[in-house]
Amino acid sequence: MSVRYGLLALLAEAPSHGYQLKSAFERRTGNQWLLNIGQVYTTIQRLEAKGLVEAIELDGAADDDRRDYRITDAGRAELEAWFASPVVLEEPSRDELTIKVLLATAARSVDLTHLLQRQRRASIEQLQAYTQRKAAADPERDVAFLILLDALIFRTEAEIRWLDACDARLRALGLITGEADR
Amino acid sequence: MTTPMVQLEGVARWFGTGHTRVVALHPTNLTVAAGELLAVMGPSGSGKTTLLSLVGGLDKPSEGNVIVDGKDVGAMKPRDLAILRRRTVGYVFQDLNLLAGLTAAENVAIPLELDGRSVRDARHAALDSLASVGLGELANRFPDDLSGGEQQRVAIARALVGGRPILLADEPTGALDSMTGESVMRLLRRHCDDGGTAILVTHDAAHAAWAHRVVFLRDGRVVDEARPASSPDTAAPEMVGAST
Repeated sequence: MSVRYGLLALLAEAPSHGYQLKSAFERRTGNQWLLNIGQVYTTIQRLEAKGLVEAIELDGAADDDRRDYRITDAGRAELEAWFASPVVLEEPSRDELTIKVLLATAARSVDLTHLLQRQRRASIEQLQAYTQRKAAADPERDVAFLILLDALIFRTEAEIRWLDACDARLRALGLITGEADR
Repeated sequence: MTTPMVQLEGVARWFGTGHTRVVALHPTNLTVAAGELLAVMGPSGSGKTTLLSLVGGLDKPSEGNVIVDGKDVGAMKPRDLAILRRRTVGYVFQDLNLLAGLTAAENVAIPLELDGRSVRDARHAALDSLASVGLGELANRFPDDLSGGEQQRVAIARALVGGRPILLADEPTGALDSMTGESVMRLLRRHCDDGGTAILVTHDAAHAAWAHRVVFLRDGRVVDEARPASSPDTAAPEMVGAST
């Protein structure tokens, strides 16, 4: 989904070929989201089939690697609509952690105090790793990377707040004890 | 790690006696090294602020030893405790505690003036400290003319003025937006990267993540600790602290 719109956004600026698109996409997204070239070509073919991009025929440029593509009017309309619409997360969330905590709450035989604390520790350690990279980044040169890190940091922070809320809720019900690790 | 700056040896704090006794902190062992930024996390009432008050000499342990910069804080006379607070340990709270009738520089100079330094000396050091938190230009502003983030940086400048090595911070980013809170965390981290020591009490995981180590308190006990995943000695994070 996002790769498709990413390529459209790049082609909206200037015609380009597969390798250029791959490296520009990676640069824009903080070099943390690496594409393989096959994925780029597959995506371009799908966009072409839908009439959102088209190949530019140049003399003697039969080589797929060097074929330039440009965005069509339909492609621009599709891209504008995408930027104009908010992203709605799927609900309810089906991530593994949510399901694990739900099942553990029902199971009773699982030690919820430890489960929540182990996860909290792992999440904080992940946050520390992100933060070290943030501290080392250049605020002006690495803007894309910093924005991406902020996204990861705030998602992880939200997860920790949710763990704290689970802890408080289950503790109020007496489903977990105050005394943690001994 | 290197030299321990703060050591808790079997430190406990309780209030009342007999069946009315309330334990704020169970016997706890904890060492914070020079150059380390330690974050303390835990729910309300878990003992975070008690721990910080004991380290800062604002409170005395019911048992155990609190060693700060090599000295036993629990055994100190009030006069020596006051010297410890003026020369060794600086505090930053969530509520800023700046005096509204004094400029930023005058607020920062207070600990040095209390310590008997000349007004001129104290002002000089205050300006240095303000410059180090990026507020050199605003030294003559009154607190009301500063933003929340600027006021908190003044509070940090005051806590560190004169080269105090240990900074204790209780929810210092609590009232700040995320970017301003981050700038405060960068200052705390820099203080430690320059060889200082800091203990930060916070609910905010994103800010705690600036620390070299995060300890988790629960019902007055240290129950766990976290270090960055890339740190070499984290293969098996150990339980630390409390006995019995």
